[in-house]
Amino acid sequence: MKSPSPVVLSVILLACLSLLVQETQAIPSFARKYKTSCSTCHYAFPKLNGFGKAFKNNGYRYPADQDLEMTKEEPVSLGADAYKKVWPNAIWPSDIPGTAPIALNAIGRFHYDNAVNNRKSGYFEIPSVFDIFYGGTLGDKISYFGEVELTRTADVEYQFAVNYDFKPGFHLKLGSVGLEDATPDHLTLTAEDYNVGSLQNQSGTWQLTDGAGGGMELWGAGNGPGGKGGFTYKVGIGNGQSDENNFDLNKKKDVYGRVTYKIGGLGEIGGTTGQASEQSAFYLDNSLRFGGFVYSGTAISDSTNDKFSVIGGDIDWWFQRLNMTAVVMQMKSKYLSTNRTSLAWFVEGNYVIYPWLIARTRYEYTDPDTNDNSNQVANNILPGIVVMLRANVRLSMEYLKPLDKSRKADDRVTIQFNLAF
Amino acid sequence: MKLLMTITITALISINMAYAGDIVGTVKATGTKDSGNAIIFLEKVEGKTFAPPTDHAVMNQKNLTFIPHVLPILAGTTVDFQNNDDVLHNVFTPDKCADNFNLGTWPKGQIRSFTFKNAGCRPVMLCKVHPEMQGFVVVLETPYFAVSNKDGSYAIKNVPPGTYTISIWHEKLKGASAKITVPGTGNLTQDFEIKK
Repeated sequence: MKSPSPVVLSVILLACLSLLVQETQAIPSFARKYKTSCSTCHYAFPKLNGFGKAFKNNGYRYPADQDLEMTKEEPVSLGADAYKKVWPNAIWPSDIPGTAPIALNAIGRFHYDNAVNNRKSGYFEIPSVFDIFYGGTLGDKISYFGEVELTRTADVEYQFAVNYDFKPGFHLKLGSVGLEDATPDHLTLTAEDYNVGSLQNQSGTWQLTDGAGGGMELWGAGNGPGGKGGFTYKVGIGNGQSDENNFDLNKKKDVYGRVTYKIGGLGEIGGTTGQASEQSAFYLDNSLRFGGFVYSGTAISDSTNDKFSVIGGDIDWWFQRLNMTAVVMQMKSKYLSTNRTSLAWFVEGNYVIYPWLIARTRYEYTDPDTNDNSNQVANNILPGIVVMLRANVRLSMEYLKPLDKSRKADDRVTIQFNLAF
Repeated sequence: MKLLMTITITALISINMAYAGDIVGTVKATGTKDSGNAIIFLEKVEGKTFAPPTDHAVMNQKNLTFIPHVLPILAGTTVDFQNNDDVLHNVFTPDKCADNFNLGTWPKGQIRSFTFKNAGCRPVMLCKVHPEMQGFVVVLETPYFAVSNKDGSYAIKNVPPGTYTISIWHEKLKGASAKITVPGTGNLTQDFEIKK
């Protein structure tokens, strides 16, 4: 019997999706708490817009001290506010969310590639990933965010961090820390990982997007002149990563830092001062942001240290319906007496055709060893489209086309759907 | 002569006011959470026109909602849209009868305005930043209108005696109309039952 073509399979997948979409009623936890649309914070989930970043920079709170009045889901008090006067003869008052602050993200995929028997074929990967997110605030100074990720291969990944939010310019984070937001990797709209985020050290025990493991971080943000743009910073220390349950087996800690500065656009901590405009849309934030990051760590593999360091920079430019992002990162790694320098960078453009339809293209370059000419350099171009079927239902289609002749046959198509509720 | 005209007009207004009555009643809405936010109004009175008020009507944006949710106005009235949140808001309408206006974005405490000229227009007010926000401006041909309370009660005050068509509008439910005669003295009761 002849197998159905990938096109037919895609149509079937889309038909199945449309049925699912009709039944999608729910919304994630922050949307429930504030009774607002996903689009308030997301360009297209999970990629944040200007307001979403300001919300995060306020410790998952509405900017300008409006959180209490904006919260439409009444929290449960764990002590009257006046108990602050009684302290230390009482527990400091706080509250918990009225409903469990949990959100779910289900991901399914359809692949067309040569992964099976080195022959091009189409196959489904449904379910592919199932994320359980939990995030919110406990009173006016504590916030938290965590994720448990279950993958098709039965891997379980988890992270959790709690913040003490002194003020938007100064937070103390304990838990899962790192530079995962140095790239928009965890906020990607399509299935293919960013090369910068997944570039590994020699032993394969560390990559940027997996963070620095358990540790402590100081971070903050502030608006720039006239309430526009502004700065963010973070410095932290963590166990680092290893091949043993994400706990460091050596005595050395990983350290890292990151700074950004945004020119124009919505303030990094929000507010409306100086924001008058004739245009308005949740995906607009005319601005230019520069960032830089460093990371130094020691991972361990087979009882041997892999000492590595990373330096990188990024640009995030928003102009009308266009968003351009570029990230470059150099990694130096010393493992088993071998020194290696790696380089990865990418440039990506997203264009909003309609608020529900985004065209995007990425070019990426990865050189795992800049001193070894025989090493295979990867040049890829990845055009794609993102369709927001609903504010919480996303469908993306992406084509990875290697530009190197030797990898010509490795081209692949990935269709992905996300349901967040 | 001028004095005589003034006395005559004053007398006519006094007589008219003396005979003005109220239309009261209850709206029973089926298929909605409550019976509020229905607009009860008198349709066009033949041979009569009403000048729009010089005072502006107000629709606020507060806590990510339009307040009031429905705003009845006389045609020609200017509505001030005020941002009372310290987040960016926008007001636009996709309805042609209100020129598909888009007022852009403005900071907290500031106002942008629009004059609604076309009677019969029921434009929806939306915000491009917060897609869940929705309000309605209902443009009418007479100044005799009321918005029902949650319990369905309403009152249109000071209606001159005469025969009129009274109608009801609701954003989700079917409208209805009735012929009524407002008496020279006393109130008139007109109830409505509306559903999808």
